[in-house]
Amino acid sequence: MGKADDVMDICLLAGEIMLKYGAETYRVEETLERMAKSASFSNVHCFTTSTGIFLSFEETKEKEDLMQMVRIDDRLQDLSKVTAVNQVSREFVSGQLTVEEAKQKLTAIASSPLTYPLWLIHIASGVAGAGFSYLFGGGWADMMPAFIAAVMSSIVVVEFERYLKVRFAAEFAAAFSGGTIAIFLVFIGMGSNLDQIIIGSLMPLVPGVPLTNAVRDLMSGDLVAGVSRGAEALLTSLSIASGIALTISIFV
Amino acid sequence: MDIVTQLLITYFATVAFGIIFSIPKRALLIGGAIGMLAWGVFQGVLNLGTSYVFATGIASFAAAALSHITAKIIRIPVTALSIPGILPLVPGSRAYFTMLSFVEGDYLQGLEYGVETMLRAGAIAAGLVFALAIFSYGKGIGHRYEPNR
Repeated sequence: MGKADDVMDICLLAGEIMLKYGAETYRVEETLERMAKSASFSNVHCFTTSTGIFLSFEETKEKEDLMQMVRIDDRLQDLSKVTAVNQVSREFVSGQLTVEEAKQKLTAIASSPLTYPLWLIHIASGVAGAGFSYLFGGGWADMMPAFIAAVMSSIVVVEFERYLKVRFAAEFAAAFSGGTIAIFLVFIGMGSNLDQIIIGSLMPLVPGVPLTNAVRDLMSGDLVAGVSRGAEALLTSLSIASGIALTISIFV
Repeated sequence: MDIVTQLLITYFATVAFGIIFSIPKRALLIGGAIGMLAWGVFQGVLNLGTSYVFATGIASFAAAALSHITAKIIRIPVTALSIPGILPLVPGSRAYFTMLSFVEGDYLQGLEYGVETMLRAGAIAAGLVFALAIFSYGKGIGHRYEPNR
């Protein structure tokens, strides 16, 4: 036991945080391999898919290789945490942090709250929705209903994900309620371009992180992870589309 | 004047997206500037009379390249800048009209919009890939032959 076990622990903790909060596969693999190598282990190998990490290395020549894995269940988006872990791993590799300090820092990152409070994220969704409804051809008067509808869909997606195990159901429900609010607001006379308002209300739901990471993973040769992330992005888009299709079929 | 308003709105919308993705505070305003640049390039190239797909590709490349450069300077993962940066180019309106046409039973129109949506998404991916290819120069992994040692 001793050092090898501790290093294995902090490597996997770092990898788990990064993968969970939306880092690309190559970044996870590279970080873990660098950290293990800097602790003077040889024969380091890391294999990462979008739902799990395997790490193995050799402590000394005589002993057998250590090999462990972690399973990642949640895939959230918080790029601040990815950045923070990146910083810790950089300091660890350059020798500024001991194993113990790195462990403390990583545990602190794992349990730290969101960088921005939840209400600010909802407001930001509204601002993004209003902005995009204008950019896609709406008028000034359409920004207010788009703001309200986008805030609504953001609240619904966050609250439903807390209770529903099926992630895509939350996005379906969010698209449905965002679209319904938009149609209702246009019906009572707020705003005139229904299409642009609905597009604005959907923009906060766009799966930006899986989409970008899928491209990056495929290009850096992590084919398994890339294809599965691409499937995730596609399913998210499809559930948004079907949610909005349902509300349009019912109310328009 | 119109383009100035659009750029300002893009800036705020991109910063808002940065908050949605919780990118670090020191990168938030820079991310907004990258999104603004992407929209500016997109409109500029479009003004030259090119197709939407081509303009999207060029704009995505510009945003991704700038993300790579700034990410190196302020020591931050590239994704934290490139994800909000390319978001103004996402063909949300085409995707919506694709769905709308299918709902209304106008399948041919829907396919037309759908193809354009896919091509624009592909153009965003292509821009990201080109920027990645340029900025990973020297980190080659060798795909075909072993290098001569």
